[in-house]
Amino acid sequence: MKTVTCCDKGRRRFLKTTALGALAGLAGSQLDTQLAFAADPAYSGDVLVLLSLRGGFDGLSAVVPAGDPAYYAARPTIGVPKAQLIGGGTFFGLHPALAPLLPHWTAGSLAAVHAVGQPAPNRSHFSAMEELERAAPGTSVRTGWLSRMLGSFGAHDPFDAIAMGTARPARVLAGPVPHLSLTSIDGLALTGDDATKPVAATMAALYRDAPPALAQTAGQLTGALERGRELRAAGYTPANGAAYPDTELGAALRDVARLIKADAGLMTATVDSGDWDMHENVGIAAPGRRMHDQLAKLAAALAAFATDLGADGLRRVTVITISEFGRRVTQNGSAGLDHGYGNAMFVLGGGVRGGRVYGTWPGLGAAQLRDGDLAVTTDYRAVIGEILRARCGVGDLSTVFPGVAASSLGLVTAR
Amino acid sequence: MTVFEQTLHRRTAIGGAAAAGAAAVLATGTPARADSTFHTTVEPGVEFVDDLDLDPAAGLLPADPLLHLLRRATYGPSPASIAEIRRLGADAWLDRQLNPASIADPVADQLLARLPLSGLSIAEIRAKVAAGQLKQYDWTPMWQLSFAAPARAIWSERQLFEVMVDFWANHLNVTCPFGDVWDSRTDYDRTVLRKHALGTFADLLKSSARHPAMLTYLDNRFSTRLAPNENYGRELLELHTVGLEYTESDVKDAAKLLTGLTVDNATGAYRYDAANHVAGPVRILGFRHDNATTTGGESAALAFLDYLALHPSTARRIVTKLCVRFVADEPPAGLVTELVKVYLDHRSAIVPVLRALFTSAEFAASVGAKTRTPLEDLAATVRVLGYGPPPSGTKTFESLYWMARNAGQAPMYWGPPNGYPDVAAAWASPSGLLVRWNFHLSIAAGYWPADLVKPADLLTGMIGARPATYGALIDATAERLLGVRLGPDQTAALAAFYGKTPASQLKSNDPAVGWLYPYLMTMLLNSPNFALR
Repeated sequence: MKTVTCCDKGRRRFLKTTALGALAGLAGSQLDTQLAFAADPAYSGDVLVLLSLRGGFDGLSAVVPAGDPAYYAARPTIGVPKAQLIGGGTFFGLHPALAPLLPHWTAGSLAAVHAVGQPAPNRSHFSAMEELERAAPGTSVRTGWLSRMLGSFGAHDPFDAIAMGTARPARVLAGPVPHLSLTSIDGLALTGDDATKPVAATMAALYRDAPPALAQTAGQLTGALERGRELRAAGYTPANGAAYPDTELGAALRDVARLIKADAGLMTATVDSGDWDMHENVGIAAPGRRMHDQLAKLAAALAAFATDLGADGLRRVTVITISEFGRRVTQNGSAGLDHGYGNAMFVLGGGVRGGRVYGTWPGLGAAQLRDGDLAVTTDYRAVIGEILRARCGVGDLSTVFPGVAASSLGLVTAR
Repeated sequence: MTVFEQTLHRRTAIGGAAAAGAAAVLATGTPARADSTFHTTVEPGVEFVDDLDLDPAAGLLPADPLLHLLRRATYGPSPASIAEIRRLGADAWLDRQLNPASIADPVADQLLARLPLSGLSIAEIRAKVAAGQLKQYDWTPMWQLSFAAPARAIWSERQLFEVMVDFWANHLNVTCPFGDVWDSRTDYDRTVLRKHALGTFADLLKSSARHPAMLTYLDNRFSTRLAPNENYGRELLELHTVGLEYTESDVKDAAKLLTGLTVDNATGAYRYDAANHVAGPVRILGFRHDNATTTGGESAALAFLDYLALHPSTARRIVTKLCVRFVADEPPAGLVTELVKVYLDHRSAIVPVLRALFTSAEFAASVGAKTRTPLEDLAATVRVLGYGPPPSGTKTFESLYWMARNAGQAPMYWGPPNGYPDVAAAWASPSGLLVRWNFHLSIAAGYWPADLVKPADLLTGMIGARPATYGALIDATAERLLGVRLGPDQTAALAAFYGKTPASQLKSNDPAVGWLYPYLMTMLLNSPNFALR
């Protein structure tokens, strides 16, 4: 009897198929061998959560170079005043809307890296995002870097990598490694499938003798549906009084935390946060203003995620924020910011040496700018590479980021 | 009355001894076929039957060559198209499809009339902006073109033409919707892709190279004499024509030669700007040109495009991609070689290549070698059900578009310049499959979109009178939707879904012939049989 499985024996256990007992005869081989929630023994690194800030995040509003006089000169109405900055830095300060994250900054689990970006300026959203996720400029590589990282560990289970909050394939996960795009865990369900209408179990039987490629994908799906049922049956209450905001990002991070705590073998998750393309009315640093409220929403979701995981849970999780490009240093005629280049990244996790801003500050003087934009002194891939090395156990970066050496900023401790 | 004729009962009871035997045979070192051609010598007068046990796809699809042609050359067999191809025969049907102008298309025409902005020219869009009927940078025309795509794929009679428009839209991809081509993407569809889809590749390529949409999408409009932008020059070589056979020096010279092909910012129209052309000799692959004057830059660039279109490596790339679309993910080498010759002999004319492809032995032998992509699955679902478009409105087209988008293949929405992948491995995603299984039920049962025109009674509309047993119900519905019956194990599994066996009597008030009938339709659409093309 040929059975379709999507994982190694180390990640399986026997399930009691009660509701589906009637079908045990026809689909038993599928159902008896569903997957256990146990970490993949081949991977002992951090769960890497990649948070993509879509539209061009303004790192200069989030991590303000208050010690650089050119900053205030360039942004007369939208610069964040020194008096309002938080985080206690001497040169840099955080936007006050990031207050929910201040405890993590102070406790050292949150850091920033500034003047990071892609190796060459690219001010097209579409093409910059594509390059950001392909992360192999000047090559014919068409896969996403996260897929290449997973491939280096031989990841092969759909629950190894989840694009959370979207049903669409994530470009950064494009490649041969299977992954799941999920609008939500509760959405991992086959319409109409229940104890009286066992569609999934019937499908498992229909695919039993199918060509291997079709059978494999169908087997992965029926396995994932089973885990979705288990996760939904278990329900979920965030821990430590964590209160996720009622936003798409809040819901997505809540589901990521849920998977991490269920020990579902998650290695990496991608999450999106949109609406950062602020060409007009960025606003002052006050509630009700555009940048303030966007940052507040971002901070609330991330803070809830960290609180929910708790110090112990956070010890094996690293969150990285990336964006396709930063914004122009000088505000435009609409009190907004056009597409720029250099940017800030946040890194959040138990292994982070936080509470400070890393990187080499190029300065905002006219001579230091790159076509009016913050210059890039650190390749974003080098920063991620350092994290992959220290926290995820990636020994050889060359397949993930061809031709890029890891940075040695020291922003994370080795596991 | 079933629309599929039951041509062959070629089921083998895999799962028992036959499968074990096949596995044993394979394990003893029978090489897997490298391509889908049969290397079997058949003696004259001996009826040749291939060994089904060696081919996992065997028996999953009807072997009827007419149905095979429909599955490949269209967005999927519909009851009407099956009747038509049976009436015309393969050759006449193909002739007609290769001459789309000869095909009246009243239904699609009527549907497109509901999306009046989907074919606007750049000038028309800008005139509407000037008249206050559209906003500057308005995406409405691009959205209408997007929503037209599923309508055309499902209900146009010019099926092969629509498939080829999609093929070229991917080969010469310009993402839609995409803000920078807000005023030019609909024009690109009409005056480049549709105009040349069954013409010559040389004309198609030159048309795309002088279109604002392509020049914008690949940045050539911003390429200047002082700072040539290499993006278009590189993709022109790597993706549109010869493939990865160029040197960096080829790219630099191509970028130089293409400077001046730009867009007039005032009108949005194509313009050749001699002042921004880099003159001077170029060497690109085997192409040499003095490129002596800036005013002669455009004609030098066109000569280069002609050279590329007729380059043997381009011929090989184009026909290989056509074979991947229509024959197999790993095309038979012999067929590719043969088609390269046809392409070059006919100076890049597409129709002779397609005719040779669809009439080749390799094509005939490739039954079951292709898997449906999400978009093909979506269109094939509506087509095989035979559901019609609603009498008015565009909401249904929008719903179908978003279904394709959720499944990862909204028409024209691919971001990178290489177009959507066309091989099964690229689409083997469990979450993508979940979206597909869910839309099968949603469409078949009429949950969403809710206003497709369906038979008043689904069971009668699908298979006619109610059969006597569950087995007969499953057989009739499988024949109607898949063209084959399923094996005994699969039939038993479907009966078990209803808590029955195939021999169980089917009563008039059983849910299986009432509210649960769409579930049977859906599970058949979810089957590996329907997943194959």
